[in-house]
Amino acid sequence: MSDPRVTPRIEVLDATAPRLETPLDLTPPEPSRPIGTLALTTLGLALLIGGLGALSIANFVIDQFARGPAFGWATLAVAGGGVGLVGTALVRELRALVRLDAVDRLRARLADPSTTREAALEWVATLPDGAALTGALRQINDPDSIRALLRDGPAAELRARAETLGQQAALATFALTAAMPSPTLDAAVVAWRGLRLIRDVAALHGMRPGLFATVALLRRTLNAASLTALTNVAVDTAMRMIVSHPAIAHLAGDAAGAGVAARRMIVLARAAAAACAPVTPSR
Amino acid sequence: MDAIAAARDLLPGRRTVRIGITGLARAGKTALLTSLAANLLARRDVRVAIAPAGASALPRFDVAAHVAALAADPPRWPARTDAISLLALDIDVARGMLPDRRVRLELLDYPGEWLLDLPLLGQSFTEWSAATLRRLDGRPEANDFLAFVHGLPAGAADEALAATGARLYATLLHRLRDEGRLALLQPGRLLMPAPGPAPPWTAFYPLAGSGPLARLLAERYAAYTASVRRDLQRPGFGAIDRLVVLADVLSALHAGPAAFADTAAALSAVATALRWRPTIDVLPQWLTRLLPLAGIARVAFVASKADHVAERQRGNLAALVRTLTATGPASAAAFAIAAVRCTEDFVWTLEGRPVSAVRGRVEGQGLVGSYPGEVPDRAPAADFWAHPFLEIPAFQPVRLPADGRVPNLNLDTLIAFLLEDIL
Repeated sequence: MSDPRVTPRIEVLDATAPRLETPLDLTPPEPSRPIGTLALTTLGLALLIGGLGALSIANFVIDQFARGPAFGWATLAVAGGGVGLVGTALVRELRALVRLDAVDRLRARLADPSTTREAALEWVATLPDGAALTGALRQINDPDSIRALLRDGPAAELRARAETLGQQAALATFALTAAMPSPTLDAAVVAWRGLRLIRDVAALHGMRPGLFATVALLRRTLNAASLTALTNVAVDTAMRMIVSHPAIAHLAGDAAGAGVAARRMIVLARAAAAACAPVTPSR
Repeated sequence: MDAIAAARDLLPGRRTVRIGITGLARAGKTALLTSLAANLLARRDVRVAIAPAGASALPRFDVAAHVAALAADPPRWPARTDAISLLALDIDVARGMLPDRRVRLELLDYPGEWLLDLPLLGQSFTEWSAATLRRLDGRPEANDFLAFVHGLPAGAADEALAATGARLYATLLHRLRDEGRLALLQPGRLLMPAPGPAPPWTAFYPLAGSGPLARLLAERYAAYTASVRRDLQRPGFGAIDRLVVLADVLSALHAGPAAFADTAAALSAVATALRWRPTIDVLPQWLTRLLPLAGIARVAFVASKADHVAERQRGNLAALVRTLTATGPASAAAFAIAAVRCTEDFVWTLEGRPVSAVRGRVEGQGLVGSYPGEVPDRAPAADFWAHPFLEIPAFQPVRLPADGRVPNLNLDTLIAFLLEDIL
C-alpha cells in the first residue's frame, strides 16, 4: 500500500499524547479444562430441581385433567406460561453466553493475519456506521493497519461511550456513598452500581447479559482490570473531572471512601469495555 | 527434532543450552537480552526461574534492573554494556509420562566487537592488512594513521614504532565506531579488551610489506588469532550452541551507502566465519553430535528495531538480512524483530495517499508519526540512495503490562527457532 512516490517524513502528530499503552492480551488466564466438581454439582442440582419440577408439574396437570377438563386446561395454561417464560430466560442466557464467546473468537480471528480482514469486515457490518469503513478495510493490505484502523475508529468510539458510562456511574457512586448513613451499605451500593455498569457497557457492545453471562463477563472484566490497572494516569484525569463538579467538590474532602469507589467505577468501565470489545485498546 | 536430538534428550542429567547474544554496535543487545529473559520468565506454560549465580566467574546480567528501567516513567533504555555478563534460567520442561526435565538456559551477552574477530581466523596477516588498508583509504578519520603507516621506513623494526602505530590504530577504531558508526572494525579486542591486563600481542595494526616491523606485527597477529581460537573452545566464553547476531540495519540504511556497505560486509564476514565448527576427526560424526562439542547449532541473524517501520516493510527487512547473510551456515535463519516494542502501526494519509506508517512517543516531542522510507528486500542498488531514508526517531518503549511481559514484535518466533527442540 505504501507508495514510493510519497516523500518519507517524520512529524509530530500530538505534542501532548501520553505514553503508548500495550495492546491488552485478554486471553483467558487458564486453558479450558474438563468440567470441575463444583460445575458438576451445580449441573446435577439443576437437573434434579428442573427435571423433578417438570415431572411434578406434568403429574399435577394430569391430576387436574382427572378432576375436570376446565381445571386441566387452566393448569396447563398456567404451567405452560411459566415454563415458557423460564425457557425464554434460559435461551436468552445461552445466547448471551454464546455472544460472549463470539467476542473471543472474533478477537482470535482479528489477531490471525490470514483472517484479519474478513473478521474486520464482519464486525463492522454489525455496527451502526460500519458501512463507511468497508471501503477503507478493503484497501488496506496490512493486518496491523486493519487492526489500527478498527482501534482508532469504531473501537475508540465504543470506548469513549463506555468511558462516559463509567463517569456517570462514578458520579452516582460518589454521591450515593457520600450520602449513605452507614458504611456497611457502601459495599452494597458499589456492588449494585458496578454490576449495572458492566451490563450497560455490555449492552453498548450489543450484548444483553443475564445472570450467568454477567458472572462470566465479571470474570473477564476482573482479568482485564488487572491488566488495565496500570493506566492510572488516565484514571486520575477522569477522577479530577468528576471531583471538580461543583456539587461534588465540597464533599470530596470528607468522603475519601466515596472517591475510591468512584475511581473503581472508571476502572470497571474501562475493563468491561476491554472485555467486551474485539479490538483491545493500545493507549 | 531428529532422531539424534531425541536420543540426546533422553540422556540423564541436566542439559545446559548456552545462547550467545551478540551484535554490531548499538544494535540493542541488552534490550534483547532483557526482553528475552523477561518474556521467558512471564511464560505460563513452562516453569522458568532465574538460576542462582553459584560460583560462576562471569558477572550476572541484572534483568530486574533493566526491566525496572523500561517500566519507569519516563522510561530509560538500558545503558550500553561494556562487559560480558551471563544470565542463567532454569526451565522445567514437561515430558508427558516422564518426569520433568530441567534445562539450564544460559544467555551470554557476548561482545559484538569480539564476533568480528571470527573472520580473522581464515585470513593471514598480509590478507587482513591489505583488506583493512583498502577500506580505510579515503576515510578522513584515518588520515593520521594512514600518514604514519605510509611514512614508515622500509627497514624499521623499532618497538616504539609498533607501540605508536598500535595507539594510533586503537584511537582510529574508536573514532570509526563512535563517530563514523562503522561496524567492521578489527581486531575487536582493541575496542573491547578482555578482562585482565592486555598482553603485548594485542598491539598490532595493519601494515603492508614484508619488512622486520611487518614480521613482528604478523607474529602478534598470529598470537592474537590463536587466542581467539582458544577462547572459542574455552568453557567460559565458548561453548555457545546457539547464537543471535543483531544488527541495526535501519540505521545503516539512513547513514548512507558507505555505512550500509560496512554493515553488509560485517554481517557477511560474520556469517562466513560462523561456518567454522570444532571437530574431532577421530570420532564419527553421529557421536560428535551427541557430545557437547557440536559447536553452534543454530544461528539467528536478526534485524533489530523492526517496529520502527510498518508491517509490510518488516518482511523486506528480514529478507534484506537474509540476503546479506546468505554465506552463513545452513542452520542460520533471518528475522526482523523489536525486542521492546515502541510503536503501533497506523494508516497515514500523506499527499492524498494512504501509507502504512508507525507512530510512537518521543520524549519531549509527544506522539510522532514515522514513515522513514521504503526498506529494500535486497542490497539496494545505486538509485536507492537518491532518495533519503530518514533517521528513525528515538521512540520511548510502550508502557509495560502488569504481567511481567515486555511487549515485543516477533520475539516468539525467534524463541521458537532457538528453543523449539527444548520447549
